Amino acid sequence: MKAIRVQHTGGPEVMELAEVAAPQPKATEALVKVKVAGVNSIDGWFRDGRLRTPLPFIPGQEGAGVVTETGPQAKVVKVGDRVAWSGTLGSYAEYVAAPEEHLVPVPSSISDEQAAAVMMHGLTAHYLVNDAHKLKAGETALVHAAAGGVGLLVVQMARAIGARVIGTASSEEKAQLAREAGADEVIVFTRQDFETEVKRLTDGKGVDVVYDGVGKATFEKNLNVMRLRGMLVIYGMSSGAVPPVDPAKLSEKGSLYMARTTLAHFTATRSELLARTGALFSMIEDGKLHVRIAKKYPLAEAAQAHRDMEARKVAGKLLLVP
Amino acid sequence: MELVELPVPQPKANEAVVKLAASGVNFIDVYFREGRYKAATPFIPGQEGAGEVAAVGADVKSVKVGDRVAWTMVLGSYAQYAAVQADRLVPIPKGVSDQQAAATMLQGMTAHYLSHDTYPLKRGETALVHAAAGGVGLLLTQMAHNIGARVIATVSTEEKAKLAREAGADDVILYTQSDFEAETKRLMAGKGVDVVYDSVGRTTFEKGLNVLRPRGMMVLFGGSSGAVPPFDLIQLSQKGSLFVTRPSLANYVATRDELVVRSGAVFGMIAAGKLKLRIEHTYPLAEAQRAHQELEGRKTTGKLLLIPSL
Repeated sequence: MKAIRVQHTGGPEVMELAEVAAPQPKATEALVKVKVAGVNSIDGWFRDGRLRTPLPFIPGQEGAGVVTETGPQAKVVKVGDRVAWSGTLGSYAEYVAAPEEHLVPVPSSISDEQAAAVMMHGLTAHYLVNDAHKLKAGETALVHAAAGGVGLLVVQMARAIGARVIGTASSEEKAQLAREAGADEVIVFTRQDFETEVKRLTDGKGVDVVYDGVGKATFEKNLNVMRLRGMLVIYGMSSGAVPPVDPAKLSEKGSLYMARTTLAHFTATRSELLARTGALFSMIEDGKLHVRIAKKYPLAEAAQAHRDMEARKVAGKLLLVP
Repeated sequence: MELVELPVPQPKANEAVVKLAASGVNFIDVYFREGRYKAATPFIPGQEGAGEVAAVGADVKSVKVGDRVAWTMVLGSYAQYAAVQADRLVPIPKGVSDQQAAATMLQGMTAHYLSHDTYPLKRGETALVHAAAGGVGLLLTQMAHNIGARVIATVSTEEKAKLAREAGADDVILYTQSDFEAETKRLMAGKGVDVVYDSVGRTTFEKGLNVLRPRGMMVLFGGSSGAVPPFDLIQLSQKGSLFVTRPSLANYVATRDELVVRSGAVFGMIAAGKLKLRIEHTYPLAEAQRAHQELEGRKTTGKLLLIPSL
């Protein structure tokens, strides 16, 4: 089969198209023909070595496709099932062997592209607004990188709940996308100080919750834009790691809460994974969640997809189509 | 701290002058006395009291002369009289004595916000309460028990373990004899507790993160062993998408409404016999020094009060 292979870590160029043997499913695995693979920032972290995995490896954590073979003890899926997954390395390929517990059924109303596009960003957005901080109607959320992959989905879900959404974005073009997704206010942070603007927009009261995938660049100011007892949820650190935090700051700034979350802890059981994906697919079916596919690439152009992702010029999801 | 004769204060327009029946002794009083927390000198220490309104300022409508009231977080309660902003005074209901009211304004409301708001405990959940025989600890343990939560308590001595058990702790760990992390994991069959209430700080924080369930909550509300040093957020994600908060009482009685509701809830528990206070040490005003010595020597359990009429 064709696959992207990384033999040594580095820039996008280390991803080469290779002919490799298709994997064999282990006892409780299924072999899936990959129709679409999602491109995520975590793939770049594995590619350049910030996150480690034994070499050589096939990148990609997310995708959708059809089961073509099952291991002898597999019970959850069968040949022919349409499935999607995240958290399984090896998705930049024509076939991937995945633990069947990671595979969720894709309803007929959801396309492979839609399914592959939401398994990481969509599930992340879903746990952020429903579990990390259960957003309520009438609350105000600050959503950083509101035109980003997770951001556009958080904005839509927050709006559907009835919360007020203040987004941040780096350009007027992205700000427009965030507005179309339902953001009530968008701060173009390259032109305006988001701390000053959020205080102005909330009459000095501060927001109930900050959803932050940016990390280092936004951290200190985030602590200044929350109401008393407000919640900062950090789900990513695209600008770099936040330096160690003095907990006394949380009391000084108003008995604040802080969390550093990862998707795995919000899909830890099979039932939670199914409930969350089910909720997500329903929102798409009902037209309540629009998934923006920014660009599709053939497998051979994975390196270009990473270059585009890391240049931060695209808004929405990048997909590889084997 | 010296006993002196001063004029009785006159209320400003928005103040009431209260004749004190009892004044609570707290560690924060020590910090102000030492200068760790700053107040303009000379000053009258004390942040907690109860008594009867003796005079009111011209604009005061919420209380009248003769009302029994209590307050906290206003300096000057180690005295026969204190002038207090009227909006900081809460009424003491029948069924609650002045001494009980003075004893519970700071620690009782702290235990209340921790268990009801910072992390609203639910029946069936498990809380780890450090220093469970301490002032806040004994009240927090009772409230958590009354909610129907399981309480795992840590204490330093067998004597304090007994107090924690009497307050309703289901399991008590003598941290001087066994490692609380290993012991909590054993008691939870490896699952982790829903919340850790930690007023100890430096010596307990990291291990506390290790005993939380995924998505559990660390509530750090003091630092009796020293301040927790800055910590790397990656610990929170690696240890299970954990939540951390560092609350203080002022942010949980920030409005008059919240102050009245919260103190009322605590007084209600006392009047109903659901919250037992340990008022075991009372001192005349002239012996404030001895009260501080005994508090700092950690020889006392339960609440210390100064009683001006003694």
